[in-house]
Amino acid sequence: MKTLALFVVVITGAMLIYAGQDLPAFGDINSPSYQAPMTQYFIENSLEESGVTNIVTALLASYRGYDTLGETAVIFTAGMAVMLLLRRRET
Amino acid sequence: MSGILDIVYAEYNYWIYVTLMMIGFYAMIAKKNLIKKVIGANIFQTAIFLFYISLSDVTGGTAPILMGGHGGEHAADVIYTNPVPHVLILTAIVVAVSTTAVALALIIRIYNEYGSIEEDVILAARRKLQPEFSEHARQKGVAEVGRQ
Repeated sequence: MKTLALFVVVITGAMLIYAGQDLPAFGDINSPSYQAPMTQYFIENSLEESGVTNIVTALLASYRGYDTLGETAVIFTAGMAVMLLLRRRET
Repeated sequence: MSGILDIVYAEYNYWIYVTLMMIGFYAMIAKKNLIKKVIGANIFQTAIFLFYISLSDVTGGTAPILMGGHGGEHAADVIYTNPVPHVLILTAIVVAVSTTAVALALIIRIYNEYGSIEEDVILAARRKLQPEFSEHARQKGVAEVGRQ
């Protein structure tokens, strides 16, 4: 059983490393995700459009505000689930 | 041979994260202790967080907080790291914390019910409580037994 688990894990890791050969090198400024027009747009225009110096905050709270709202719903659901699971039964 | 070493050096971060992910995945599959499974899931998630954050790194870049944003001296030639993966991972961390909370609450319930968090002990106790939950019944499918 443990041998099978190890086998599955090693196969998965080998597949990921094989697939990762095409990824950009560490710290590469020419990587597609950095040179994408969207990233450059956020870096250049987020201060004008949202008035926040921290680009991550501007993205999280302004551009992706509805996503962050949904995130709070996730936390709320998790909290409700924990409360329901740990509540003492009055029987 | 040096070509291979260059590739490994340029992408050593991915090797680290794949190793970390393998550790977490193995703990999730092979460990019988439910808490250890949750710890494995957390290691797995951390590997994926680090993978995304390392994708956003740029050599010589600074944190994505604009220099001289509020009226200070404006520095135009500063290189910022990529902010988009950071935002994605902030969302993912929240989901990871939520799933961990629910998993730990479920484990507490299981412990109260069966007095153990070891998979073997729980399954044995369940077979004792429900004799039809035998090896034969387990092969037929747990859902079928639950309906009887």
